[in-house]
Amino acid sequence: MLEIPRISTSRWWHKKKIWVLFGIFLFLIFARISKGSIYKDFYYFISKPFWPGQFQKDVILKSIDQESFIKLNLLEKDNIRLRKILSLQESSNNDNISAAVISRKTGSWWRQIILNKGSRDGVEIGSIVKGPGGLLGRVNNTSLFTSSVTLITSPESKLGVWVDRIQINGLLVGLGDDSPSLILFSKDADIKVGDFISSSPASTLLTPNIPIGIVQSIDEPHKAKKIAKISLLAKPHVIDWVQILKVKI
Amino acid sequence: MNNFLKKNLSIIVYIFIPIIFLWHPNWLGFLGVQPYWPLFWLLPWSMIHGSINGIIFGLFLGLILDSLTVDNSFTQIPGLILCGFLFGRIKFHSDILVGHFRYGLICSFGSFICGTLYFLQILFKNFSDSNFLLFIPTFKNILAEVFLTGFFSPFFCSQFSRMFKFSRRKL
Repeated sequence: MLEIPRISTSRWWHKKKIWVLFGIFLFLIFARISKGSIYKDFYYFISKPFWPGQFQKDVILKSIDQESFIKLNLLEKDNIRLRKILSLQESSNNDNISAAVISRKTGSWWRQIILNKGSRDGVEIGSIVKGPGGLLGRVNNTSLFTSSVTLITSPESKLGVWVDRIQINGLLVGLGDDSPSLILFSKDADIKVGDFISSSPASTLLTPNIPIGIVQSIDEPHKAKKIAKISLLAKPHVIDWVQILKVKI
Repeated sequence: MNNFLKKNLSIIVYIFIPIIFLWHPNWLGFLGVQPYWPLFWLLPWSMIHGSINGIIFGLFLGLILDSLTVDNSFTQIPGLILCGFLFGRIKFHSDILVGHFRYGLICSFGSFICGTLYFLQILFKNFSDSNFLLFIPTFKNILAEVFLTGFFSPFFCSQFSRMFKFSRRKL
């Protein structure tokens, strides 16, 4: 059989340029069908910094943040100065140690967390542990690399606290559930749901003014005592990073 | 190496109890409460090796677990020793299915004993304070623990008893 030699192997689909053009064509078809949504979204992102309202809001919020931060620093300095004058217990931010939670037992009887900083990092027994929201507990023991913290929900925990609105001291007792109880040794204490609880200025275990929780419910007065359930601000079952504060007694 | 693992399987599992106790996997919990892990090991161990071994290893388990918890005033040793002794008196059941349910019931009972003894210590220590506050969370803790321990024990205990019997035969 006679074979006819091919004159050229080139075909139109071998040209790269044609495929590029075909790709652009398809893209334009897609853009047309989607009513230019890609362009609009792209524009949304590049124009975002120039939006008048948004930009203005950001600047104002930043200014408010800065103002609050400066105010906070001034108040803290003032507080430290006044505490020194009155010879009260004090704490400074320089003594803070950040630590990660490596073990957590927040249910059942044992309410404790274990942190990844120990005596090697300067953690001492009795140090206060704070998380986002407020007080979590106190360091109960330390090893070289870890420290164990008794949470304020533990049945072993008993702390002096301060009810700011009615200016009264109380005792916060852990019961082995998520809401510790506040015991006020006065039947007539005018405590209300929503009252804010912080660490007591009279406490020798804690530094003052650490936020703890909010009154959730109040029980009936019992033997010249008033008892309230406290909802904690710091949630130990979800917190991964904490701050350890040294206590100067 | 393989032989060593087979021979010491029960001890290797024993080492993992404090680890799982510390790990506290929340996804296995109920109302924030975990099953009482040491009983899963103690039950098959005591059933195979008898009451004396049960008491000794109950004490060892209690010591280890007490060292891991920060509560200095309360201890888990009495509950675990009692459970070790009681579990040692129990014999294996010939029917596998009934045996499974027995594990569940026995572990639930053991968990109830341990929980109650622990609670009594808390109650005794806080005798002067308002005790009634403790009761509601206590019931919740004990019941959740009893339920979970009973729920998981047929699986864990039957596996462990098979493993321990196997490693003992090799000895």
